Amino acid sequence: MVTWRDFQRQQRVTEVRDTFISYLDEGQGEPVVLLHGIPTWSYLWTPVLGTLTRAARVLAPDLAGFGFSDKRDCFDRSIARQAELVDAWMDRLGISSAVIVGHDIGGGVALRLATLFPSRVRKLCVMNTVCYDSWPIELMLQFGHPGADRLLSAAMAMRLLRQALKGGFARRPPAALLDGLLAPYSTEVGKLSLIRNASALNTNLTTEIVPRLRSIDVPTLILWGEDDVFQPVSYGERLSWDIPGAHFVRIGGARHFLMVDRPHAVARRLNAFISS
Amino acid sequence: MFGSKPVPIAEHEARGDTSRIYHEIRQTLRVSGVNMNFRTWAGFPRFFPAMWASMQPIAASQEFESGADHVRGRAAELAGVLPAVPTGINTGESQRYQIRQALALYHYINPKLLLFTILVRRGLTGEAPAGAPADTELGPRVPFGPPARMAAMEMVSEAPGDRRLKRLFRDMKKTMSLPSVNSDYRTLALWPDYLEAGWTSLKRVVRTDDYLRATERLARDAAIVAERFPTPVNLDARQLRARGEDAEAVLEVTHRFEHLLPPLIVNIALLARDWWPGDELGRSPFPIADRPAGQKG
Repeated sequence: MVTWRDFQRQQRVTEVRDTFISYLDEGQGEPVVLLHGIPTWSYLWTPVLGTLTRAARVLAPDLAGFGFSDKRDCFDRSIARQAELVDAWMDRLGISSAVIVGHDIGGGVALRLATLFPSRVRKLCVMNTVCYDSWPIELMLQFGHPGADRLLSAAMAMRLLRQALKGGFARRPPAALLDGLLAPYSTEVGKLSLIRNASALNTNLTTEIVPRLRSIDVPTLILWGEDDVFQPVSYGERLSWDIPGAHFVRIGGARHFLMVDRPHAVARRLNAFISS
Repeated sequence: MFGSKPVPIAEHEARGDTSRIYHEIRQTLRVSGVNMNFRTWAGFPRFFPAMWASMQPIAASQEFESGADHVRGRAAELAGVLPAVPTGINTGESQRYQIRQALALYHYINPKLLLFTILVRRGLTGEAPAGAPADTELGPRVPFGPPARMAAMEMVSEAPGDRRLKRLFRDMKKTMSLPSVNSDYRTLALWPDYLEAGWTSLKRVVRTDDYLRATERLARDAAIVAERFPTPVNLDARQLRARGEDAEAVLEVTHRFEHLLPPLIVNIALLARDWWPGDELGRSPFPIADRPAGQKG
């Protein structure tokens, strides 16, 4: 597995509005945009990247405030803003539309793109996504409290998150992967940025698009690690009922981070979906 | 080393008055974080608020910004005749962007810190300026707030878990007689390959007589620029003692920062030479015409 430092070395960068976005751009063919969730960054996709880049041009940005994108304390990090930034970022890269794949809050961004910027989305795939009133989970609500910056040092926050994240995996994840996922947040600036990211989690930004879900008219795949304790599988079932023609697939033996728990199953499903 | 060793207060640890002053420092100095000299001075609670109250009007002036611009320009000239410190490492596009932003941040703020520290020291010793009377008109103030494109002042822990960084920090402290590792190097440590290569090159230069002369020259030039400003009032040792502050310890750390900043400014200019064309290095990376972050242009 590629180390997070090597992954970071491969990242490109683009200024978008008043911020900058670091992103991976690998492979050739159909553009596929992978959107991570909280508290991770694009490194989360490492277990499936090798397979995906064989058949597609994979673009995996760090959302604003996440990973090695802009982490200053002066901009909105809501999924509404993130969708606008992804739209602007695609513009900067000259990508008119793409297969949009989102996990966790990245799925929330993907759903907003599909409902509010539909021309950007050629196909939609969401995985264990936030939706309806499935979020924010208790841990993130607490972490997003403005006082958390004063209560928790970066080192304490890392220990807390490391412990909490383990609940998202069906089996113990590789230590190097866990270290890598949290690495950008291990400084005080990184910790504060993650707190601000957590503060921006807002149920209304998925409930407001519920009436629009029926307007999604692109091929849609919903993948769900069925043992997820953060985003229960019942939400995936509800989404598949609301999005016309959506194909719902349960991934057994997987929790929230299904691309880590079952990388081959996820990559195979995704590749088939992209090339279908 | 110190009469009473000050305990620096990190930004996230600041409360009450210290938190307010940190905010005002970021706004007034147009910087995204609070540097080590302020974090250390904040460890003297009967000195820090009085110092800031005296210095804020000076630091807020365009004259102060222009003075710092002059010091930066001199640093670029002096660094320009020293041997280059190429790093020649294989960094990614995003890393290069962020390293350049980090160097811009410190290339911008360090000359301000040097002027600020000279003035604080003069206030502590009660030294009257040769040029500027106490009622010097400071003129218009700068637009408050960090510039829109200024990077966050992100840095690794001074006691990093990474063995390579530990070794590098130890070597830096020993070679440059640093009591602790400056924010600048802790920021560059976010890219250990870069810091290691940069430090290896720098280390060869900082041991030369030419380098020593350049840093001494910069210190003298900055002292001359500081003559433009009035000495801050209410800071002399007698008044500090009356307030119950350890005046000798405050003066000692202030002297130390005044001594450390010229080499730091030259080092950042040397590293920055790899990233800016020569004629750009002398200019402010964030001229005051730049709008503050969050304001629409």
